[in-house]
Formats: sequence, C-alpha cells, structure tokens
Amino acid sequence: MSAAIWGWLVLLFPLLGSIVIGLTFRSVSDRTAGRIGVAAILLSFLAGIGALVALQGEPSDARYATSSLWDYASVGDLEVDLGIYVDPLAVFMVLVVTGVSTLIHIYSFSYMQSDQGYHRFFSYLNFFVFSMLLLVLAGNFVLLIVGWAFVGFASYALISFWFRRSTATRAGMKAFVINVVGDIGLVLAAILIFRELGVLDYRAVFEKAPEVFSTNEWTIVAICLLLLVGAFAKSAQMPFHTWLADAMEGPTPVSSLIHAATMVTAGVYLVARSWTLFELAPSAADVAAIVGLVTLLVAGTIALVVTDLKRIIAYSTMSQIGYMFVAVGIGAYSAGMFHLMTHAFFKALLFMAAGSVIAAMANIQNIDRMKGFEKALPFTATMLVIGSLALAGFPGTSGWFSKDEIIDFALYRGDWYFWVAVGCYIGAFMTALYSFRIIFRILPGKPCPEAEHLIETGHVVHAEPENPVTGQPEDYEVGYPGEEHHIAEQARGMRFGMAMLGVLALIGGFVQIPGVTEVIAHFLEPTFEGSPLAAMHPSVGKAWLGLVIGGLIAIVGIAVAWVLWVGRPSIPEAARRRFRPLYVLFLNKWYGDEIIDFLIVRPVLALGRFADRIIEPYVAGGLVSGTTYLVRSAGVAVRDLQTGMLRSYAAVMVAGVVGIGLYFLIRSI
Amino acid sequence: MLSILLWLPLAFGLVALLVPAYRAWVVALIGSVATLVIAAVMAIGFDGSGGLQYVEKTPWIPDLGISYALGVDGISIFLVLLTALAWVPAVAFAASRRAGGDRERLFYFMLLLGETATLGAFLAQDLILFVVFFDLMIVPFYFLFGIWGTDREGITAGAATVKMLIFTLIGSLLMVVGAVSVGAFAGEPGTGLTYYIPDLIERGLGESYQNWIFWLFAAAFFVKMPAFPLHGWMPDAYRAAPLPALAVFSAVLSKVGAYGFLRVVLPIMPDAAELFQTAILIFAVASIIYGSVVAFTKLDLRLIIGFSSIAQLGFITLGIFALDETGANGALFQMVNHGLVVVPAILIVGLLAERFGTENIGPMGGLAKRAPILAVIFLIATMATLALPGSPNFIGEFLILNGVFQTDVAIAIVASSGVALAAYYALRMYQRTMHNPLPDGADDREISLRDGLIVVPMLLVVVILAFAPQIVLSDTAVAVEQAVAAFTEVTR
Repeated sequence: MSAAIWGWLVLLFPLLGSIVIGLTFRSVSDRTAGRIGVAAILLSFLAGIGALVALQGEPSDARYATSSLWDYASVGDLEVDLGIYVDPLAVFMVLVVTGVSTLIHIYSFSYMQSDQGYHRFFSYLNFFVFSMLLLVLAGNFVLLIVGWAFVGFASYALISFWFRRSTATRAGMKAFVINVVGDIGLVLAAILIFRELGVLDYRAVFEKAPEVFSTNEWTIVAICLLLLVGAFAKSAQMPFHTWLADAMEGPTPVSSLIHAATMVTAGVYLVARSWTLFELAPSAADVAAIVGLVTLLVAGTIALVVTDLKRIIAYSTMSQIGYMFVAVGIGAYSAGMFHLMTHAFFKALLFMAAGSVIAAMANIQNIDRMKGFEKALPFTATMLVIGSLALAGFPGTSGWFSKDEIIDFALYRGDWYFWVAVGCYIGAFMTALYSFRIIFRILPGKPCPEAEHLIETGHVVHAEPENPVTGQPEDYEVGYPGEEHHIAEQARGMRFGMAMLGVLALIGGFVQIPGVTEVIAHFLEPTFEGSPLAAMHPSVGKAWLGLVIGGLIAIVGIAVAWVLWVGRPSIPEAARRRFRPLYVLFLNKWYGDEIIDFLIVRPVLALGRFADRIIEPYVAGGLVSGTTYLVRSAGVAVRDLQTGMLRSYAAVMVAGVVGIGLYFLIRSI
Repeated sequence: MLSILLWLPLAFGLVALLVPAYRAWVVALIGSVATLVIAAVMAIGFDGSGGLQYVEKTPWIPDLGISYALGVDGISIFLVLLTALAWVPAVAFAASRRAGGDRERLFYFMLLLGETATLGAFLAQDLILFVVFFDLMIVPFYFLFGIWGTDREGITAGAATVKMLIFTLIGSLLMVVGAVSVGAFAGEPGTGLTYYIPDLIERGLGESYQNWIFWLFAAAFFVKMPAFPLHGWMPDAYRAAPLPALAVFSAVLSKVGAYGFLRVVLPIMPDAAELFQTAILIFAVASIIYGSVVAFTKLDLRLIIGFSSIAQLGFITLGIFALDETGANGALFQMVNHGLVVVPAILIVGLLAERFGTENIGPMGGLAKRAPILAVIFLIATMATLALPGSPNFIGEFLILNGVFQTDVAIAIVASSGVALAAYYALRMYQRTMHNPLPDGADDREISLRDGLIVVPMLLVVVILAFAPQIVLSDTAVAVEQAVAAFTEVTR
C-alpha cells in the first residue's frame, strides 16, 4: 500500500474511535469504550508504521506522497483540496504522537476509571489525536489551520473537562481565546501566502517561494512572523504563554498528552515544516530563536519558585519548548525534532508520575505538603527520578543527547548565536535545579500524613476535596477525579504506561549519538533537502565536547539542588528574603496575566460597556426615538399607528398580495 | 415551477385559516415541508454552470415596464433553499409549543405569508417586484411580533414592533424612490421603461445617478440587516418576538439586505459601489467590532445572538464590498451558514428558557451533565458561530478575509480581530449555560426526541458542509463572478 493510503488510515481510526465512543455513551460500558479508544490509537500507530515502511521503500528524492479526497474550497484562483502530504517529517510526528498517545490512553484507561465522564473523556481524547494527526498530515495551509483549531478545541474541551469547576471553565476559555488569536495569525499568513504566490499547497508554496521572494523581503518576513504568532500561541511561548499553567486544571493524562507531549509542540513542527519560508526570512527565524530563548529562561525562573506540582512541570514544558524554538530558529531542525521526541517521552512520564502522587495526596498539588514518597510510592518515585534525570539532561539519558545537540549547533553557527548557547546553558542549569527541587522535596524525608496513611493501609486518604483556588466543594457529579481514585502504582495500565515511557526516557536518546548513530537526522533528511543550514554539522569531537559540558552542568545543577533542598534548606529561605523583589516577580509569573489583562482584556471590556451604556441608548436608540419623535410631531400619534390606520393598511396590503398571488399561481398551473 | 414554489406557502396559509384551529399547525407543517421539497427538487435540477434559470416572465404593468419575472441563479439558489429549510423547524417548533395561542390559524397564516414574501424577494427578477416583496416581508412579522410577542420590562411588544416598523418603513420608502429612479434613468432616454433586472444591468445607469441612488438602497438594506448604527430597532424587536418567528427572521430576513447588494446594487451601480467602497468597508468593520463588544456585555441570550448577528452581517458586508470573487463568494456562503446556525441557536434559547425559567444567562449553568446531547448540539452551534476552522463558517470567513485582504490590508486585519471577539462571546454563551455549577431549582432534563428532530437537521447540514463546502461554492461561483464582473475587469 502506498504511504498516502496509510496516511488516511492514520487519520481514520481516531476519528472513528471518537465518533463511536461519543455515540454509544448510553449503550456501551465504560470499559468497552476505553478499549475502543486505546485500540483506535494503537491501530493508528500501526498505520503510521505502515506509512514509515512505505516511505522508506522509495528512493530518497521521492520520499513523499500527496493524496486528495475531494475539492474542499475552491473559488476563482483559490484551490484548496482535502488533501494530505506524507513525508518523513509528517511520519515522524505521526509516530511520536500516536506512540505516546497509545501509552497515555492505556494510562488513562485506569486513571479515569472512577470518573463519571469516561465516554466523554475518551471521545475527546481520540478526537484530539485525530486533530493532531490532521495538523501534521495536512497537505495545505488551510487544512493545517483546521487541524490547528481542532486541537485547540480538543484542548479546550479537556481543560474544562470537569466543567462544573469554575476554575476549569475559566482556564478553558483563556486557552481557547488565546489559541484563536494564534489561529488568526495563521489565517492571515495563509492569505498573504496566497496573495503573493497564488497557491496554498505545501509543495507548491515551498517550490515557488524561493523564486518569488528575495531574502528578508518584508512580505516573507511578515508571513513568517504571522506564522510565528500561531506557533507561539499554540506552544505557549511568550507573550502568549499565560494559558498553559492554567490548563493544568484538566485531568492529569490530558496535561501529559496535550499540554506536554504533543499539542504544545505543534508550533515547533510548523516552523520545521515551513523551513523554506523561514530560511528566506532569517530575521523572522531569529525572532523564533530569541523568543524561544527568552521563554526558556523566564519559564525556568518561574518553575524555580512555584509550589504547585503540575504547574512546575507545566513551566518546565514551556521552557523545553523554548529550546525547540531555539533549535528550529537557528536551523537545527532535526535536533529540534529530536528534542521534541525525547521531551514527549520524559515529560509525559513526569506528568503521569505527578498524577500518581497527586492522587495519593487526595488531590493536593502543593509540594510544600508532600514528603517521603520514596517509601509510599516506590515505583512512582523511580519514574519521577528517571523523568527528572532526562529533563535535567543527565549524561546518558535521552534529554542529554537531544538538548545538547541543539546547543552544539548554536555554538557551531558562532556569531551572536554563541550567546544563545550561553543562555541555553543557563537554562539547563535552572532545569536541573527545578527538576530536582521536585525530587528532593517530595521523595525523601519523613512521610507526610497522606504518605504515611498510604504506607500503613495501602489506600489513598479520603478527603472532601475542595477547589484550592475558590474553596468551593468539588462536584462529584462531573467526576472530579472521583471518589475512589486509584493509586497509579497499583493499576496495571498505569504501571505499564509509566514503565514504557520510563524506558524510552532513559534510552530514547541512543538513536542519535554523535559519531555513532544518527537515525533521526538521516530519516528526516529528505524533508530538509536543499537547506544549507540542515546540511551543516558540527564535528563529532565538538559535539562530544558539548555533551560533556552539558552533562557537567546537569550534574552540578543536581548537586546544587541537593545542597539547597536537602543539605542546607536554610539557603533558599535566605535567598528568598535577600532577593525578595525577584522572588515576587517570579512567583507572579513575571506578571504575564496582569499585563495581558491590562493591555487587552480591560480595554475591550471597557469598550463593550461604553458601547452598551452610551452608544446603545443615546446613538443607536437615539436614532429610533428621534425618528419616532419626528413621526409623532408630524401629527400621527404612535398609538393610532398601532391600533388604527396602520393595521387596516397592512390588512389591505395582505389582501392585495393574496389576490395577486392567487392570480399568478393559477396562471402558472 | 418557481411560481408554485413562491405561492405554495401562502396557499397553505390560506388553507390554515379555514381548517379548525387545532389542525392549523398540521396544514402549516405540510405546507412548509412541501415547499422545501419543491425547493430541493429545483436545486437538484439547477445547473451550476448556467446563468438565470427557471425563468418566468409575464408583463404585469406593461405601461411602466414592470413585469412579473422570477428566476434563480447561483446567488439566490441557496438562499431560497435556506428559506425553505428554515421555515420547517420554525413551524414545527411553533406547533410543539402552541405558539399561536388562541389565534392559531392567523399565526400560521402570517408565518407562511412571511415565507412567500421572503421567497419572493429572493426569486424576483424585476426590481419593482423585488421592492414589493421586500416591503411585504415586514407585514406578517409586524403582526407576528406585535400580537404574539412578549411584553418586556420598559417596552411592550406592540411598541417594540412599531419601532421596528418605522425604521424599516423609512428604509423601504427610500428604496422605493431608488427603484423607481433606476428604471427611469437607466439607459438612453426614450428607450422605454423596464424594471427587469438583467435588462437594467445591460442598459447601465449614469454615474451621477448611481451616486445618490446607491445610498437609497444601502439605507434600506442596512436597516434590514441591521448594521451599526442603524440597528436601534433590533434589541427591542428581538426581545419581543415569539421565538419561531424570530428564528426565521434572524436567519433569512437579515440576509435579504445583503442579498440586495449582490443582486441589485453591485451589478446596476458598480461605479458607486467602487466609489463608496472604503466607506462601506469601514461601516462593516464598525459593525463587526461593535456587535461583538456589545455581545460581551449582554446577558439576555436573544441579545447576544442579535448583536452577534450584527457582527456576522458585518463580515458578510465586508465580503460583498471586497468587490472581488473570493470575498463575494465567501459572503454568500456565510449568509447560508449564518442562517443554518442561527435557527437552531434561537430555538435552543427556547429550550433553555423552559429549563431555567429565564432567557438570561446569569442564573443558568451546568446542563451538560444530565443533558449531554443538548450540550453537544449547542456546542456544535457555538463552534460554528465562532467560525472554528473546520466549520463551514470558517471557510466563509476565510474567503471574506481573503477578498478584503486583496483590497485593503488594514481593514482585513482589524476585521480579523472580530474573530477573536466572537470566540469569547460565543464560548461565554455556551459555558454559562452548559458548564459551571447547576443553579438550584433548574430543570436539567435532556432534549426530547421531538425537539431533537426539530433542531438537529439544520445542524446536520452544517456538519455536511463542514466536510465539503464546495457543494455550495461550486454552484455559486458563476453567478457571483458575473455580479462582480464589473470590478474585476477594472482592477485587472
């Protein structure tokens, strides 16, 4: 079978799964629905492997396939097909997305068991996977936008999954609206591309662009910047980052799948996909790299001070995606995709392990309260450590290979990219610090009451949960985690999902070891064929030097973390007092929410109120009353209009029309 | 054939007057379904690559050059279909709620008279006939809103209706003057009067005439849509109207104004359209922003939908006055999409009101738990309203923005912010009704099978169009190309 047919199958299974689960919510049991959900994604993954095999069977210059079902929207010169484009980059994304999704679906199968919205959850989750696959397989910019918006919708639906929590619905709204702003960026980019090139199909656009645009011409820069608006919004880069932390209101598997492993990396994919355009607009590519750098640093500082377990990991996600943007911004495409993959492994793992801890804490997420979980949850503790090692870039783990490949490339390009590399190293140090802040604060020590209870009885503490933000009691009707929440370690599905990802997080980096293997770079080569940047490689020696530096930074970072949070816990306290303004700045997330609120939300709402209170009654309404007054002063009392003459006029008119109508009706018959 | 389609609803309306009151709804429902069937048959036989079809033309007042001329082309075909489609759930909903009260026969007669008048406006190929139907439309709705409407705080249904009537009448009077003048001044002097629209287009209208006649038509159309700042009648009328009548009013009647631009103004007054293009575009953008931000502040579901319609019609106007093919096609497609979505949305307002005892979203919430199907239906309507990419509405907006972008980049960018605003007000409407805690005393039952049958079919059409917008676009292309031919030649 051709790669294109495999591509359609990849899309078909999750879509069918979503529809079937959604439609059968009354007739099929929860477990069956969950099985359908898992099976759909697994089949999609297998179809992805089919596409991989089919592609690899082609010579490297023909390693792509296009296929179109029907004409989607064509008017005049505009032609848009319902078509897909299967090339190594797309297949790579398909495999990462479906692979990680399969594991997270298996995890969710147990994790969500006590939840009332089981069907809804799996229907949404399958729909999300479908949308994400549509995003990566789309053959033109319009379909890309459709997939792009669908994942935004799925993300919204799953963030506000527990829809009677007002914090969850508010977070969903925020994520949705910010993502729509990103969508608009993409729409305008697509329109501008069409205006300049007259086409929207990927291949046609990428073939024509070098002929039409000269380097750094303002139109191509504008196109790329608009694409970046979409990419930044979806990938929670500054200044569109504020929604991601709030998105943690969703169930933990959702945070794991959508807000860590897959959807939020879509922006990175988009830049890699459009590398032809970005190489024509190096200024815009630099913007991507700089924003990525700033985001990774800012997010790192926030992750150092916040105390909500899931939010720490969320800020770490922002920060890691910052690395990916640096990568694709400076032209290290395959390194960026490599980091995207390893990040998907270890970040999904971290969220799963965090979910396990949070469940054991009866949904308390504050790490100040957690202690001694190495004894209470030994398996989870192991997974947390593995995930954190990979995140910190500890030598040998997957994160070490991928992150340092990016930094090596920045060093290799020299010039001011040197300073980008330095920034990345600072970020790496912070990564090691905050990831082991989690470890050292919640694993060792005397178990907290919840952990104690778990050790003694083997059961989770029962608590009347309340919303930590609003203090409202949780509504079990929409299944807020559910009354009898399972402990991750004791359910086979969750154990399996975590173990698999744990293995991948540890050894996933071996596919690309400088001087030994370069599976990913080699596989992606046809996609980046013709790019001078993609053809550049640091020498093996330099690459290893970079790995050594990166490894040392990670080890030092972990050691410092040990000193700070285990050895001398008085130091962080002192630092907090000493650098109070900075601490407050970080704790308030650099006031990102407040800035957006002040610059955008308030003015728009004020405009609305002004329109409602002033323009409506006095201008729009004034026209009406003015007219009425004129009519009245002309001597025709409104009351008479209403009751007398007008009605008779209208009645006469009706009668006349009826007569005419009948006349023509009879004639035409 | 078109005559049968046109007068059939009225004929059934007359029958409805004669049968026993409790049977009137049966007659009306059969009438609306029969009309839909005929419209569908006509649409199936429609040749997308051809021009005006099913033409019927008989002299009416020969001395004045007025004829009874009907016909459909790509511009009107889907609006005719939309009209026929929208009336069925409206009649069914009215029947299920006994909306006619103690005067059921008259209610259905008026409702069906409204359908004939609206179809007439879309089918008329004679300018005077168009004006007659355009004005006739308001009559049945005047009665429907006035007699069967609800008195609201501060204003009775009667007063709200009179407000609407005065506004519309002034617009209509201006248009009558405009229409008569078009006939009088078109072509060389002494060639005899004609009001047949294809003839008028061929004859052409002097530029100096165009410049003032343009505004006479524009006034009437903008009042009807309504567009900011001529929407003063809308809030009160929307709040007064009985829901089934409001559903078709909002879905179809508002489109007649936009349709008029494509049918009459652009082809007959191309120079004026080009001259005033920027002014109209700015008005349209003002409508988008204004409608959206006011929709933010409203708590009454009818008003949220009403002001969102102002914004949507702003987009449609924008597409028309992009004066190019993609923009106009997008506008036309968006008229269909908005109509398809707004009927279910307004009928759902009725369902929500029955559950919460109010149409105000303040004390609503939490329905999604016990009424998941209702929630999904409303979610689809919401996502289509905010033009989520993947919905047909997105393709409409994309084409519109694409058209405007080629004309005026700044306007396109400002207008695109309306998309984000729509996301907020539409999602807010959904969340405040379906999500968040369930208020005490609310009745959170699931949608009944009967109501599902009323509301779902139009949304099914939306879903089908989501997969293949080309179904509509391929049939509208030729006619729209002709409507904007004058401009594309100039610019090329």
